Amino acid sequence: MVGLVLISHSSSIADGLRDMVAQVAGAEVLVATAGGTDDGRLGTSAPRITAAIRSTLDGGADGTVILLDLGSAALSLELALEEFDDDERARLRVSEAPLVEGAILAAVQASVGATLDEVAEAAASAASMQKMPKD
Amino acid sequence: MAELHLTILDPSGLHARPAAQVVRTAGRFQSRITINVGGRTADVKSLIAVLGLTIRPGAQITLAADGPDDAAALAALIAELGAAVQPSSNGAEPS
Repeated sequence: MVGLVLISHSSSIADGLRDMVAQVAGAEVLVATAGGTDDGRLGTSAPRITAAIRSTLDGGADGTVILLDLGSAALSLELALEEFDDDERARLRVSEAPLVEGAILAAVQASVGATLDEVAEAAASAASMQKMPKD
Repeated sequence: MAELHLTILDPSGLHARPAAQVVRTAGRFQSRITINVGGRTADVKSLIAVLGLTIRPGAQITLAADGPDDAAALAALIAELGAAVQPSSNGAEPS
């Protein structure tokens, strides 16, 4: 099964989103979070992101889709990705999707055994997701 | 090919959690499974497609499955939806 890594400046956001994902897509989906800094402040931490990604790859994920919130999360993620070799990088997809919607859509596809590319595609589709009814 | 005509009873319609359950159930089957409401059709194995239909309470939906396990797929979906749906009256067409 494909795993997910959720990166946010806020550990509350990352942990709360993990709860939402578990309720919608099932607790068996492999989700790791990297929220906030090591000392509990708002921010992102490359080592925490590295550890989260590592836990999914070592946890048996066929691959991992990484979702992030904004700003310096991208810089921390770039640093974190340098810790992985080419074979590991080939099992990772960084998603441009909005964090909440992308995580839910990706997790549901992961829960039915979709491939890494299919899960990444599901996350990407969140960017154009209809929210309010059209009529 | 198998089809089911249903009315949505859940007062929230087919919202995120039940929609996700339907998608996850559909994913266990090989058959192609679609949901139609008001002339719009979505692949039941895609959550974004199902949510994109914004299925409201009272909506008439048609679930259709085509493949080697189509009857079993529809049986599993109706079991999953449970009290959220009821069969539409005989001959009723989705509007």
